[in-house]
Amino acid sequence: MKGGPIRDEGEGVIGKPRREIQKATRRPLLGPFRYPSRRQIVRRTASAAAAVVAFLFVFWLGEAGLYNLSFAEEIVPALERGFSGTMWLVGFVIPVGFGTGLMMASARTSDSRIARAIGGTYVEFFRSMPPFTLIAFSSLLATKLLRTVFYIDNPVGLAVAAATFALALHSGSYQTEILRAGILSVPAGQVEAAYALGLTRSRTLFNVILPQAFRISLPALGNEFSSVIKDTSLLSAISAVELAFIGGVLVNNALSRDFNLPFIIWSEISVLYFVLTYAVVWIVRYAENRSKVPGLEAAQL
Amino acid sequence: MIRADGIHKWFGELHVLRGIGMEVTKGEVSCIIGPSGSGKSTFLRCLNLLVFPDQGDIYLEGVRITSPEVRPEWVRQQIGMVFQSFNLFTHLTALRNVTLGLTKVRRMDSEAAGKKARWELERVGLGDKVDAYPAQLSGGQQQRVAIARALAMDPKVMLFDEPTSALDPEFIHEVLDVMTKLADEGMTMVVVTHEMGFAKKVADDVTFLDQGQIVERGPPSEIFEGPKQERTKAFVSRILG
Repeated sequence: MKGGPIRDEGEGVIGKPRREIQKATRRPLLGPFRYPSRRQIVRRTASAAAAVVAFLFVFWLGEAGLYNLSFAEEIVPALERGFSGTMWLVGFVIPVGFGTGLMMASARTSDSRIARAIGGTYVEFFRSMPPFTLIAFSSLLATKLLRTVFYIDNPVGLAVAAATFALALHSGSYQTEILRAGILSVPAGQVEAAYALGLTRSRTLFNVILPQAFRISLPALGNEFSSVIKDTSLLSAISAVELAFIGGVLVNNALSRDFNLPFIIWSEISVLYFVLTYAVVWIVRYAENRSKVPGLEAAQL
Repeated sequence: MIRADGIHKWFGELHVLRGIGMEVTKGEVSCIIGPSGSGKSTFLRCLNLLVFPDQGDIYLEGVRITSPEVRPEWVRQQIGMVFQSFNLFTHLTALRNVTLGLTKVRRMDSEAAGKKARWELERVGLGDKVDAYPAQLSGGQQQRVAIARALAMDPKVMLFDEPTSALDPEFIHEVLDVMTKLADEGMTMVVVTHEMGFAKKVADDVTFLDQGQIVERGPPSEIFEGPKQERTKAFVSRILG
């Protein structure tokens, strides 16, 4: 069996709830031996080759004297701080960006001209700004405002908060367009049918349009989430305590000791970014599988 | 039951409806026929305010529903509508398609809504398909779910917009059977259709629409066998072959 969609297999399957169908058609872990298909052979050869290359690379790194386990352990507490900082930033940026995206996508597809104008301006502004510029500018602006209005001398934390918010809005502008594409893909007949039942506009939006738009937007959303996770590293420029910032500090201290140490630092940081990104992507993929509609599968070659 | 009075509708420059007046009394089945582009669908959508008429009024049981004080949602929950392309909610099972209106519009609790929805699906002969998704059903089955969805709201009037035009020939009769049964039960129906057999058998009167105007109206026997207007004659002879 391929990892493909569950097909309707006659009368018995249709009537059952989705969860049961999935259970019934899942491939058993151990089964009778089957000759691999050509696609499987290509896949397995490719992954074996990749494993060999990766092993040689790691081996070469060791030969070059990069393994210094005591140093790798020494920096763990610092990395923990950085990781929790990045988690906080991601935990703020993704929900705020998604919420804004949802709101603005609804505004951009609404039939009120004012709402469309607000959504359009928002998207065009935040999409055209480099995130780095946004971060620098918003943190400076927040500092300036807080100094002159509230007489706070050095509002570092609040400046970081403002910059994080700006980054969330930046991501939100992309998510607006992703969700708008999803909304536009829902046929007009769905809205007509909902209205004909007597559903209000907001009920139609939340119960009919968005669930379908969301399902279609998920792959692109996963892309945007994984991209914005790494964009949080830009906040290190304004001294937000997160992984990339900690990395910079550690590297500065380590360079005078041994030129090989930064490799260890960045390797560990890459792994942490990978873990975080993979976790988020995994959640998105789970949502994708959950929102699959039986019988409504995409084209397969 | 439902009455339209001098309905005009423009789409930009295009004058789609040019003063249509029509009344359907309680329990009556009224069919609308006409060439494509004659404004049949637009007129039907005016009746439940999916399309708001630019001129003229519509009365539902004597209430002027085109009045600005009337909420369109209030009107639409009393009028059922079935579409040419079914328009079932693709992300919901047959059962949830039917319960959506019950729980969100009529505010029934989900248990009562489920019970009623099952009963309605049973009524259109789909009691065994409650958990199927629209994409797993044939066209005829989808259209019957759509009818059950509309019926579940206990509508005073049912509007059908070419309910069999998108169906494979083998499925047409099962939808027409359900509609005939509904008519026999005394439902007030306005049906845009090209199914002359159905119109002859079930309709109390037939309206021929052309270029946004009513050309002729009368009992089916009169419209199909002895139309008075030239345009009706030409159209009827073309569709009867």
